[in-house]
Amino acid sequence: MAYYTVTGIVKRGTPVLLVAAIISTTAGQLLHAGQDLLLTFPVLLILIPPLIKVGGDTGSILGARLSSALHLGLVEPVGGVVVRNNILACLVIGCISCVVLSVAVWAAAILLGIDVVYGLLLKITLIAGCIEMVVVFAATVGIAFVSHKHGLDPDDVVIPLITSIGDIVGIVAVFVAAWVVG
Amino acid sequence: MPERDDYLERYMSVKSIVREALPFELVCTIGGVFAGIILVRMVDMIETIPGLLVLVPAILGMRGNISCTLGSRLGSAIHLGLVSRIERNPELINNVAGSLTLSLIMSVVLGILAHLFTVALGMESVGVVVLVSIAVFAGVSSGLILAVIAVVITIGAFRHGIDPDNVTTPALGTLGDVITMLMVFCAAEAVIWIWHITP
Repeated sequence: MAYYTVTGIVKRGTPVLLVAAIISTTAGQLLHAGQDLLLTFPVLLILIPPLIKVGGDTGSILGARLSSALHLGLVEPVGGVVVRNNILACLVIGCISCVVLSVAVWAAAILLGIDVVYGLLLKITLIAGCIEMVVVFAATVGIAFVSHKHGLDPDDVVIPLITSIGDIVGIVAVFVAAWVVG
Repeated sequence: MPERDDYLERYMSVKSIVREALPFELVCTIGGVFAGIILVRMVDMIETIPGLLVLVPAILGMRGNISCTLGSRLGSAIHLGLVSRIERNPELINNVAGSLTLSLIMSVVLGILAHLFTVALGMESVGVVVLVSIAVFAGVSSGLILAVIAVVITIGAFRHGIDPDNVTTPALGTLGDVITMLMVFCAAEAVIWIWHITP
């Protein structure tokens, strides 16, 4: 008898994937609703996949680290130094990634012959990135602590949920940033 | 315990976390930009196939979740000594087959969900058959490509004395979005060609 079976993998995977599917189709609807804006400013289409990735990745790093810290019993109250330093570190990683991302998207836009002002793109990326990280990190800390408190392994719960929530928040954040910048 | 304190100090320091995680995050970000470039090349298709844009984050998300769990299961399997050769290995075959089965089921679900959701919100959808076809083609083909990559990287890394857990998932995360987006592109092209969809 094999250790891994097809039915076992399918059974364990389906519930989490279904929840993630519903959340990410909602994210898709938001994209669809903003389709006109995206087709008018196609540079936003280049920006969205990597930006939601940065949010999901930094959230996942934070989630995985908090999960391990919770398992190790290293986390005192929520305001403790472990939580604070992990959040700070992920913010630094996210902000540097956003700056690099804006340059990469700008270069890609030029190569594709899309007109874009770099200053505007940097502003949109930073505003969207900050909105996304604040919301995603708050959700990550909340989900990690709540799942730990209720005896669920945060490793199983945090990452799929955070990447899906990151999709929605990231897309809304890009629209908000584009609206703020004008 | 000075050693434990040392470890904890490093574990908690902002500097060490940033130093370890940033390089990989930057590589991933650049990978994401390539996915974005493919998406922006699809502007015409997005107009031709209403509802396609709804599927994009969902397929990318599903792909990421399924192939990263495959990568991490393969890592565990090889550590447990369950995977030592590629041919006629039930653990390997079951892992890949399980991932592909999940991809197939979830792709059908995503296609239907995307259609129903779009119609329920009063927006135009190209139809459930076309959306399910795109999701299944893109989901299963990218799943197959990423499964092969996962197996090759896991076994290759292990044979060279590298822990697959440190390599496979990051590699799949970076390649995943680009390959999946490319497959969505191909699926949309195929669907337009088969059903002669015009805007």
